[in-house]
Amino acid sequence: MRHFFFGGVNPAPHKENTRRKPIARLESQPDFVIIPLSMSAEGDSIPAVKPGDQVAVGQPIAAGQGLGVSAHASVSGRVAAIEDRPHPWGGRSPAIVIKNDFQDTRWSGRPEPLVPEQVTLELLLGRVREAGIAGMGGGAYPTAEKLRRAAGKVDTLIVNAAECEPYITADHRILLERSDKILQGAHTLARALGAQRAVLVTEGDKLNAAEAVERRLRKRSGKVELCTVGTRYPLGAEKQIVQTVTGREVPPGGSPLDVKCVVLNVSTVFAIQEALFKGKALTHRAVTVTGGAVARPRNLWVPIGTPLRCLLESVGGLREESDLILTGGPMMGIPQHDLEAPVVKNTNGLVCLTDLERRQSAQESICIRCGKCVAACPMHLAPAFINRALGQKELHKLPRLHPQDCMECGCCSYICPARIPLLERVRQAREILEKGGQAR
Amino acid sequence: MNSSRSLRLPPQVGQPSTTASMMTDVMVALLPALAMAVFFFGLRALVLTAVSVGACIFFEALYRRLTGQDDTIRDLSACVTGMLLAMCLPAASAYWVPVLGAAFAIIVVKQFYGGLGKNFMNPALAGRMLLATFPMLMTNWSQPLDRLPLWGVDAVSSATPMSYLHAGILPPQTLSQLFLGQQGGSMGEVSSFMLLLGGCYLILRRVISIRIPAAYLGTVALLALVFPAQDISPLRWMTAQLLGGSLLFGAFFLATDPTTSPVTPRGQLLFGAGCGVLTVLLRYHGSYPEGVGWSILTMNCCVWLLDRAGMPRRFGAGRFSVLRDWASQARRNLAEIKFVRPNLHIRLNKGGKAPGEAHLDQIRTQAAAYGCLGAVILTTGLLIFGVQRYTDLDTARAAARAQQEVLSQVMPKAAFSSETPYRAVGALSIQAGYSQDNELLGYCVEVQAQGFGGVVTMEVGVDLNGQVTGVAITDHKETANVGTEATTPGALARYIGKSGTIRPSGSNSVDAVSGATATSQAITAGVNRALAIVANLDTEGGGVDYVDGEV
Repeated sequence: MRHFFFGGVNPAPHKENTRRKPIARLESQPDFVIIPLSMSAEGDSIPAVKPGDQVAVGQPIAAGQGLGVSAHASVSGRVAAIEDRPHPWGGRSPAIVIKNDFQDTRWSGRPEPLVPEQVTLELLLGRVREAGIAGMGGGAYPTAEKLRRAAGKVDTLIVNAAECEPYITADHRILLERSDKILQGAHTLARALGAQRAVLVTEGDKLNAAEAVERRLRKRSGKVELCTVGTRYPLGAEKQIVQTVTGREVPPGGSPLDVKCVVLNVSTVFAIQEALFKGKALTHRAVTVTGGAVARPRNLWVPIGTPLRCLLESVGGLREESDLILTGGPMMGIPQHDLEAPVVKNTNGLVCLTDLERRQSAQESICIRCGKCVAACPMHLAPAFINRALGQKELHKLPRLHPQDCMECGCCSYICPARIPLLERVRQAREILEKGGQAR
Repeated sequence: MNSSRSLRLPPQVGQPSTTASMMTDVMVALLPALAMAVFFFGLRALVLTAVSVGACIFFEALYRRLTGQDDTIRDLSACVTGMLLAMCLPAASAYWVPVLGAAFAIIVVKQFYGGLGKNFMNPALAGRMLLATFPMLMTNWSQPLDRLPLWGVDAVSSATPMSYLHAGILPPQTLSQLFLGQQGGSMGEVSSFMLLLGGCYLILRRVISIRIPAAYLGTVALLALVFPAQDISPLRWMTAQLLGGSLLFGAFFLATDPTTSPVTPRGQLLFGAGCGVLTVLLRYHGSYPEGVGWSILTMNCCVWLLDRAGMPRRFGAGRFSVLRDWASQARRNLAEIKFVRPNLHIRLNKGGKAPGEAHLDQIRTQAAAYGCLGAVILTTGLLIFGVQRYTDLDTARAAARAQQEVLSQVMPKAAFSSETPYRAVGALSIQAGYSQDNELLGYCVEVQAQGFGGVVTMEVGVDLNGQVTGVAITDHKETANVGTEATTPGALARYIGKSGTIRPSGSNSVDAVSGATATSQAITAGVNRALAIVANLDTEGGGVDYVDGEV
């Protein structure tokens, strides 16, 4: 039985530049890595090292605090400073700066690799927490916490390899090149969490990866299912992927746990697999550096903390002036103003768009009530009406329009022929509701 | 990089179409139909379209300029309105017709409501429907392939397929003729094929969604299949209904106007279905053969309601959450209705004091407030009572009934009678009798004659040939069972058909009833007098016909 989610848009994928390029190492390692102390969306961590300390690859340098995740040195060298540095999520935040000694010394204290039969829930949670894994698809929610809550309560584990954002191909390459490990990780996770089903969801534009998974699934006796869905943005959003796989709708204000599902990004699953069976902490990740302005777009395997500038240097720099540099895809990505900001755990791409690609020259005009935003909203909202209620100052109408359900996928702004920044309007409406306390 | 870029909000890419490009697409989609119109009706179609587009742009610019608002010609919506308006017109229209339509469409329907995106009716359609109030303008259908000259078009009128369908028969055109457009009709609607082509273009370009046209055409097709005309195969009837008239044009180009159709997907489906039902109803039962325009305009007015009905269900809130919410709200509201015991303890004096000035003031203000209402009610009541009291309706009704009875006796064929302006010596009154069809049948003359006991008053009906049609005694003083023998219906019936002067005996006579000779003679004399009066009326009247209403 196939399920569908309502709405969505079909932005031009632009993935052809990097989809055939294997994940490569950086041509030149960065001189410094900057590891921000805020790596999880939910909390910060406290440094465990002092400036001047010698650190090795994989050595914990900051411990998670509350819902924060621990951080590890991604290169070996000496801690140069602990100071405020630009953060890719905006603004500046304290970060541990490590001077690279280019030795790549491995940390001696890394935990023993496990064999799949050994893995229990406690071991899994401990390893994931130690490895400092946070959601690598964009949410940056601490994975250990997610798994702890999900344990025993879910019947479906969904491995999200949809990667519906245009341009980005990091997950695609990971899935293609590490299919075996991902399947092993998914299988182990499902067993430890007590989920009956483990479903790997990918989109139709990654057929070679889907084929690779299919081939390995035939060899294994695992119970991981493969689900290939037609490309549509935002399939990769948590609620939409749950709806596509199981047909269940996450209730308003709830999480996939409420419908007995847990969704993990494919890179996260890979990191968990590495942590369990190789004892590796999360120190590297795949990043797609692409966009019309990039000279040689490619997929890179980079140490976390590498400044974005090093990534650009590694792909040959920009061939023309970039109008906009983003971490993440163009739909939900964050514009970057400072290339000294580092790669963090949820940075899946660095996209440098030219003016031509953005095509946002037209001015905002009047709503002609075409209804495309309503037909595109996967959360069943009516952005046109929210916009009108705001424009006419009819704030009493807002609670019935549920702007707090918005997940900021940006479909409404994308599709609007009048170029109204609908996403911004919905955000405004949500803020008004939160301030007024009328939200239910 | 400079900091102004921080103002750019996600998403950083947008789909390429803009309002203006959507409007361009609509115009492109109309081109095939326009080309076909030029092929069928000659260059006049093109010139009419140009006039219409020009007029729309002119009025839009004029209004925006006069009211000091910014120019909106660049969004091209006025061009689209102009093109749609022209396509709705017959090719034989005069050149001022689209100008008038454009003025109404742009200024009244669109700009008075705030311009693009704010009007609640389709401007082009409203303009066309205004023009439809001049019936002779809008039934000027010329036959295709009958190329019209640029100047001086005769008023031609040929039957469109819709007039055949309206009469419940299939149009004479074959299916392929209907499909290619060899049918009478307005410029844009003749070629179904070209309209489908344009509609597909719009859907593929995602300018319109398929919801409204599909719901519209589907509803019409279904209803036509279920309720075909007598003795016609449902399938043939359905195809003719779909391809004839402006249905395709309306479904693809008029009903899908974004501004005047619902925003929500479910609302759009309801909108299309509503248009379909109304179209079929109007086509079957309306006085115009075509109902597409009126049905779309009617549904335009329901858009607000449809939008509320079609609001998407909240994500994750369950299938029937809206109904459940509504029911629980209703239950809460009902629970709030409590029976409150009326406070019947009326106290005139508060706290042991006599009613003071304040109390009197209150009564006075209330009296002043309710005084007007009371006065109106009282006056109205008195008036009705007075009329009722002083109008003796029963007597009036009885008199009218008696008069009707007499009439039916003296002139059985007449339905009613009315006063005449004629007067004659010896006649109390002369009334004209008319048939159901307002045809003059004859005259009823009331005469008197001296009988045995006193005056006998009678009414004699005489038809236009001078023959008696009946006699009725309205008043007499004759002795009962003696003189009245002559006034029985049987005795009176003997006069029917007589003409000229009736004698007591011999030819053209009515015998006296034995024992009531004096009365019989009186009646005969009265009838004779009536006949004479009527005969003289006719001669005196000359050739002047008595026409009802001249009095």
